[in-house]
Amino acid sequence: MIRQWFKSGSPWIWMTGGAVSISLISVIGLLALIAWRGLGFFWASPVHEFHIQGSVEQHTVIGEIYDREVVPASRVRQSGVDLGDFQGEELTRYLIKTGNREYVELDFRWILETDIQSQSTPHNLAVFERSKNGNFYGYIEQVIENGQPVRGDKVEKLEELVERAVELNEQALDLQNGDIGHINYELERLRLKERAYELDNELTHERAAELEAQRQALRDQYKELEKTLFQLRDDAKRDQVVVKDMRGEMVTLPLYQVLDFWLPNDMGFFAKVGHYFGQLGKFIADDPREANTEGGVFPAIFGTVFMVMLMAVIVTPFGVVAAIYLHEYAAKNAVTKMIRIAVINLAGVPSIVYGVFGLGFFVYMLGGSIDQLFYPEASPSPVFGTPGVIWSALTLAILTLPVVIVSTEEGLSRIPSQVRQGSLALGATKAETLWRIVVPMASPAIMTGLILAVARAAGEVAPLMLVGVVKMAPTLPLDGNFPYVHLDRKFMHLGFHIYDVGFQSPNVEAARPLVYATAFLLVTVIIALNITAIGIRNHLREKFRALDN
Amino acid sequence: MITVAPEVNAANTQKLDLTNLTPEQTALQIKNLDLYYGDKQALSDVSMDIPKGQVTAFIGPSGCGKSTLLRCINRMNDLVDTCRIEGQILLHGENIYDKRVDVAALRRNVGMVFQRPNPFPKSIYENVVYGLRLQGIKDKRKLDEVVERSLRGAALWDEVKDRLHDSAFGLSGGQQQRLVIARSIAIEPEVLLLDEPTSALDPISTLVIEELISELKNKFTVVIVTHNMQQAARVSDQTAFMYMGELIEYADTNTLFTTPSKKKTEDYITGRYG
Repeated sequence: MIRQWFKSGSPWIWMTGGAVSISLISVIGLLALIAWRGLGFFWASPVHEFHIQGSVEQHTVIGEIYDREVVPASRVRQSGVDLGDFQGEELTRYLIKTGNREYVELDFRWILETDIQSQSTPHNLAVFERSKNGNFYGYIEQVIENGQPVRGDKVEKLEELVERAVELNEQALDLQNGDIGHINYELERLRLKERAYELDNELTHERAAELEAQRQALRDQYKELEKTLFQLRDDAKRDQVVVKDMRGEMVTLPLYQVLDFWLPNDMGFFAKVGHYFGQLGKFIADDPREANTEGGVFPAIFGTVFMVMLMAVIVTPFGVVAAIYLHEYAAKNAVTKMIRIAVINLAGVPSIVYGVFGLGFFVYMLGGSIDQLFYPEASPSPVFGTPGVIWSALTLAILTLPVVIVSTEEGLSRIPSQVRQGSLALGATKAETLWRIVVPMASPAIMTGLILAVARAAGEVAPLMLVGVVKMAPTLPLDGNFPYVHLDRKFMHLGFHIYDVGFQSPNVEAARPLVYATAFLLVTVIIALNITAIGIRNHLREKFRALDN
Repeated sequence: MITVAPEVNAANTQKLDLTNLTPEQTALQIKNLDLYYGDKQALSDVSMDIPKGQVTAFIGPSGCGKSTLLRCINRMNDLVDTCRIEGQILLHGENIYDKRVDVAALRRNVGMVFQRPNPFPKSIYENVVYGLRLQGIKDKRKLDEVVERSLRGAALWDEVKDRLHDSAFGLSGGQQQRLVIARSIAIEPEVLLLDEPTSALDPISTLVIEELISELKNKFTVVIVTHNMQQAARVSDQTAFMYMGELIEYADTNTLFTTPSKKKTEDYITGRYG
């Protein structure tokens, strides 16, 4: 009976099918976990007001329930907490996010189920998202517009005023990063120009005067802009809101620090959905704040995608050319075989080793030489002789080179020999046949290599920490200042961002959901890059469908 | 054993003295050709003159070296690393295996069509002009002209003239093979080598190609390898019978099929082996 069953092959089918299912379940489970933990963060969860009977006195706690945990009562008793006449075996404790960081010692606190005397979700509790010190929870008591308390609907008025302040802040920021940033950039360029003249002993009086005039013009411009900037900032500081916090005290919040506010207990489902997508959008499009624990991750997304694309642009020609030599021109002997084995084994070298190599070879040797040759005026501060996005891209290009070479070679070997011969028979040389027929036909395989390379490169963090990634990059590698693409700049990366937010941040609890959200985003970015590449590959496959008929 | 004497091409009226062709009548001269794949000898001492403007067929059982001999004529065997050739093939009185010969130029002069249709993954138009583009010809009018002339020459024009810019893979096998012929004649070679051009095609496509071959000899010297004796009888003027790497008999088709002088030839054409 059992033997029959074994002979029928069903156990084999069950085993293989089971392996596939387990893999699928773990992948989906992983994605679901990070999606749930990360994306749930943006949902406007209700804000509770708890009345707590502490050991000494009664007090109020206002905040969101961040986490809950069931603990055995005995353990709580052992740690010296008086549970009174609590009879149960286990009890729940809640982690409450209370915000108001500068007014209370801890913005997260655990409370025991048994200590809660009453719990409510008052509909007029407000959450303020602030540019400093995190969220603030409390009741809106008074809205002050231009020094005068507002009468009538406070919430409506506050919405209007917050919008105004946000608008003014944005203008100020645009001015600071745009025009003023541009002036600073130009001033630096003038300084370098002057220094270059000095080094070449060509700094004549006319030149010095001309440079000084240009500098003066920029400074005048700067003064104008600075005036506007201060004007905007002062304008933004005009209004305040008075909020009663959980201690019962009145706190005046200046509106220029308030980014947004909402009344979560008063929101309907659709309002919450709208709010959710608003928050999600801000997470994707904004810059990080507060040592990366708040705000968005836009520079990290941009840095990741930019670096990976740069890497792809570098690795593809190198890999393809190397594969063509190995497959088409190299003699088929032991040396070629050795080279091929070495290339395949390169893929197994730990990535941090590539990082060390990149730092030593690219950054210090290559970058240092470039600085000496082309940027002597910038000395002693390095331009290319310091970690930057170009070195990261080059390091990862070397890391992923074997993948591209191997798949390109495989693609080349699959081109039917009749097609090559057809081209040769028409008087094409080997090189012409390669570039006109063989390589285009192998392009789907090249794309496969590129897909694998991108997937690997986008997820690498360790080598990047040595050759270009930073916790906080003030400027993107792409901006409006000539020459627009700044390959020498350091950049932010989603993978490093996860590490930084999760393990280097001063406020671990506050950052935890951001870790999940960023992880989810990183996966999404990699999948998006891959899907794009797969799309291109399918298009190419269709175009160069081999001679199957 | 039934003896089938294949029907012989009625057009083969004018007889040439194959052992003594004048230079004007000669397209190619093969002289004492030996070919080795590694240690194995695939052709031994083959000598023959191929007349100009006629169809010459190579027949013989599988592995007799007829395709190998054909591929020597445009040096396709250069692609095989282990291949070694002794002897000469003369085109215009010059040995094509001379060191000074530009192989690409030789192949422009001696075109080749393979067993299976091998169009490039490009449009019909681009397939035809491929050889011209290699020569750097960019003039659109000239290219258009060549495309029409070549496709007409390959009896394909009427079928594809409305979809010249569609992929060549959309064509049927027979059409693809004619496209490959059009591609070869677009660069106006002197000699066209056909390596079993109909072996992968259905009977109707085969018929079309055979008719086309009779047309082609007006402009080109055609050398065809075929495993199909009836086909050789139908399309060729001269036939060479090869066996085990040796040229057994070479005569005008009529003679070879009706009164073969060698016993092996007779055995083969009467179907005693093959």
